[in-house]
Amino acid sequence: MKTLQALLRREILEHKNLWRVPLILIVIALLFKLSLLVGNFATDIEIPSQLELDSTIDSALDTVIASALNAMNTFIMWVMFMVAIFYALACLFTERQDQSVLFWRSLPISDGLTVASKLIIALAVIPVTIVVTQAVVAIIFFGIDSFEYLTVYYGQSIALLMKLILWSLLPVVAWCALCSEVANKNPFLLAVIAPVLVILVDKLFLNGVISQTFIINRLTNVGNFDLMPLISGLIFSVVCVVLTVIKRSQRI
Amino acid sequence: MKTVREAFIDVRSLSKKYGKKTVLSDVNLSIGQGEIVGLIGPNGAGKSTLLKAIMGLISYSGDLSIFGHDPFKKRTELLQNMSYIADVASLPGWMKVKDLLSFVADTHSKFDLNHANELLRETPIESNQKVETLSKGMKTRLHLTIILSINTDLLVLDEPTLGLDVMVRREFQDRLVEDYYNQQRSILITTHQIDEVESILTRVLFIKEGRITLDLQKADLKTRYSKLIVKQNVVFAEQQSQPIYQRSLPDQTEMIFKDADASTLSQYGEVVSPSLEDLFVATNS
Repeated sequence: MKTLQALLRREILEHKNLWRVPLILIVIALLFKLSLLVGNFATDIEIPSQLELDSTIDSALDTVIASALNAMNTFIMWVMFMVAIFYALACLFTERQDQSVLFWRSLPISDGLTVASKLIIALAVIPVTIVVTQAVVAIIFFGIDSFEYLTVYYGQSIALLMKLILWSLLPVVAWCALCSEVANKNPFLLAVIAPVLVILVDKLFLNGVISQTFIINRLTNVGNFDLMPLISGLIFSVVCVVLTVIKRSQRI
Repeated sequence: MKTVREAFIDVRSLSKKYGKKTVLSDVNLSIGQGEIVGLIGPNGAGKSTLLKAIMGLISYSGDLSIFGHDPFKKRTELLQNMSYIADVASLPGWMKVKDLLSFVADTHSKFDLNHANELLRETPIESNQKVETLSKGMKTRLHLTIILSINTDLLVLDEPTLGLDVMVRREFQDRLVEDYYNQQRSILITTHQIDEVESILTRVLFIKEGRITLDLQKADLKTRYSKLIVKQNVVFAEQQSQPIYQRSLPDQTEMIFKDADASTLSQYGEVVSPSLEDLFVATNS
């Protein structure tokens, strides 16, 4: 347990984008809030004095802000998904590049636990960061009232987030981690080219069903949470993780 | 109770091939408690490969056991009893010294953090410094400090002083002997700078083209080998007293003898103890 904590702490120290990006997102939210108060977005709608006490005006304004906030929170989620993917592409590649893998492996830590720590960062720590960042941004906009907004928002979004992680992020992260472990020069290129080739060959010579179900639907048709793509994605992820661990344990 | 003291490292007919190229062939070796063994050989002789097999970094054919474990399959368990430096340039540059130390403290139960901090206090290394800001010598010093603060019984070092200046190299050996070595522990070290390690070794292994060509207790170097320096060329009539190596210099000739009678030799010229370097050249040419 202590070892796993140390491993997770190391990842956060090494990959600064894990906390830098959420901070930047929060700063952006702050700028928007500031703009609403004193900047170009400041509402200069004159509310007639007899309506000032009418709560419907307030709630109408709140609805506008709430839908803007929903958009902002979706944006936060996708940005952090990108962070997760780039983290997965880098996590095993950089330690090989700077040779530090030789030092890490001279400590009694199994390769399985090391790879697990990296998956935990991408699939658990980053999603938690998404939820926390969204809460902070909501507080920036709504202050004390954000509790009400967040209850409604999380009511819909958490389940969606979980599904997106299981159906799409997990196989993508597992694939990227494998590329990070095996790529000689550029894990990003390998991670993109291999599926593109599969799609190309499938579309040109076969009926295109395989690439449509296994790759394209998973990335573009994210609202469709059927059982089959979940199972195939899980199997694919397990294979990728096992290969990653084996490859790391055989590296000189 | 253990009555028979097991060898720390036990290698039996170990071979390793990369593709068709044989890097190690039929290596047999046993290293016990209290030994400081130098594995010496030219570049490409297979020293690093042998060490990597011992460190559990590569697969191999043959039998290899470290404290009774197969290092490749039981790497994690093995590292509770053995520490190693595979490459001195392998510390993570992005990490601060204090973070590095606490990481090792959290992941290795035998790491003594206080001892490491004590050792570091004698160096100009500061705990807030990033590793990449340290000089090459100081990186090595830090790496060695970390490894020496792990209380294991076996230490394996692959070319630990490569690329360091002479002051740092000397310092390195002193640290090895003062801070780590006691009669209970063993050290296996590779190098191609023979003269550097000669003084600290208790045993020498020469390796050439993947084979161990000489396995010699340091104490036997003086008793079994002698070096004769003569002003003129001498021809030895008797077959059993032929030099194993002869080197002609402008004003003298040096000859290395094995198991020769020193008093007989001294009739021909000056007899001295050969250095490891002399012996290395003699056995490898």
